[in-house]
Amino acid sequence: MATAAASVSRRSGSGPARWWRALRVAYWLGWQIETNWTDPLLFFIYSLAKPLGGVLILVFMYFVVARGGQGPLLGFFVVGTALWPFVLRGMMGTAWGLISDREHWRTLRYIYSAPIPFRAYLIGRSLAQATSAIAPALITLLFGRYVLGVPLHLETIDGWYAAAAMLLGIAGIVALGLAVVSAAMLISGEAWRMPEGVGAALYLVSGAIFPVTTLPGWLHPVAQVFPLTWWLEAMRRGLLGADTVKSFPWAGAGQVLLYQVLVTLSWIVLASLAFGVAERRARQLGILDQESAY
Amino acid sequence: MIGASAAPAAAGARLPRDHGLRRVLRAAAGRSYPRIIGQNRERSWLFYDTVLPLLGTIAFVFVYKALGAPDRFIGYVIMGGATTAFWLNVMWNMAAQFYWDKQGGNLELYMVVPCGITPILLGMSLGGFLATLLRAAVIVLLGAWMFDVRFAVSDLGLFLLVFGVAIVALYGLGVTFASLFLLWGREAWHMAELFMEPVFLASGFYFPVRALGFWAAMGTSFIPLTLALDALRQLLFGAAHPALLPVWWEVAALGALAVMFIILARFMLRRMEYLARREGRLSLRF
Repeated sequence: MATAAASVSRRSGSGPARWWRALRVAYWLGWQIETNWTDPLLFFIYSLAKPLGGVLILVFMYFVVARGGQGPLLGFFVVGTALWPFVLRGMMGTAWGLISDREHWRTLRYIYSAPIPFRAYLIGRSLAQATSAIAPALITLLFGRYVLGVPLHLETIDGWYAAAAMLLGIAGIVALGLAVVSAAMLISGEAWRMPEGVGAALYLVSGAIFPVTTLPGWLHPVAQVFPLTWWLEAMRRGLLGADTVKSFPWAGAGQVLLYQVLVTLSWIVLASLAFGVAERRARQLGILDQESAY
Repeated sequence: MIGASAAPAAAGARLPRDHGLRRVLRAAAGRSYPRIIGQNRERSWLFYDTVLPLLGTIAFVFVYKALGAPDRFIGYVIMGGATTAFWLNVMWNMAAQFYWDKQGGNLELYMVVPCGITPILLGMSLGGFLATLLRAAVIVLLGAWMFDVRFAVSDLGLFLLVFGVAIVALYGLGVTFASLFLLWGREAWHMAELFMEPVFLASGFYFPVRALGFWAAMGTSFIPLTLALDALRQLLFGAAHPALLPVWWEVAALGALAVMFIILARFMLRRMEYLARREGRLSLRF
């Protein structure tokens, strides 16, 4: 018994190794939950239908007003709609992951009491959800390029800039996801709807489908607080070039990336603190695995 | 012991036992009660049911503002937002309801009650409609107030007729979907999700459906909201709205859709219930 225990202890490793293993396994689990409810073809159609439907709504709204003309706002719509599924799945999906583990599968207490870092588990689930947004994003961008004639040309795309913005964007989405999970841990009755409410509010203020400059002035500082706003702005500049419609016309491309780094880092720290506080509070109140019998 | 067991039996014998239409109506009223009264007791649901469609509506209003569109397009979007509340209700609280009931253990109870499942669905529709009407009215009032939009109905009687026939057709479609969803487990959640943006697009929630092209719009007219939105917009915006068909044609088509969906719902419900029983999926939670 002692030998077996020592073997398990050695295998469990410590620090980064444990984190990495928990993250990897949670990622695999998240991917299975996300994808194995149907056959690959229906999953592919499901993955594409929502973002393509979303972009086509905006395209028809655009053509109804512009009467067939083309302009830079079309590119703005396409990039915003292509990237939004990362937010839907990465941020809201993380919260729904926790809530479904708690309320639907009723496995949260077992996962929480397992010898794994709980944050690594949640981040792994979040990254699995975000991965499922890659195909719809790519196909929406290709649709924009080849069907709508959006200027997404290889020679004008700033690959390094866009890649850096994308990595930071995913980090920001995961941080936002942890913040939403922190709130979800402390509430039960309306927990299913809360992530959706946060997502809808962010859709409105973060320049997802229209420039932040269109919002009333008092909402501009609110928009700047969220990493998503800077991420979408940076991605548009990286993919569409300098001629794109801008949410922050006063900022250069370098400034936008710098602000994205600062805001994202702030959110990582804040979300980490909020998660720690929420986790302790939920345990103190005994509501970590409380079911609301939805 | 004998006395103790005889008392509940006697109380049970005194329970009123309705038959026929009276039983259907009482069962429907019973099922609609939690939707009309119970839902409003959970304040957070009231908040989310109103605020979520409103936030989406505001986002699309700002899209038209960014495009420099005329004011009537803002009216289009506010109407689309109110319609979204009905569509969400039909998909999540009608079509997918049996999925939730399966999770909660209520579906088995519905299957064994003496009234049958049709009055249950009728009550769900009635309660869902009344609760959603309140939310849709709030969305229209708040949206019109925030963006200073004025709606002038040219023919109120016809407007109410279109709305009424469209609601019957829409909830008929909801019952048809509910029977389909009876067979599904985890797929139910995803399928309800799948019917969001593509339907908003196909029915022209945020733009005149004629923009899809005449035949494409005719093709999507089997969704009752396509014709309903077009007819209501004609009555609100007059000649400025690019109509798909004359209003009375759309009323007639909506009436035909209502009859068709009610018949289809009845057939599908029997068929799917049989299949779900045969394949043992009625009480299969996961």
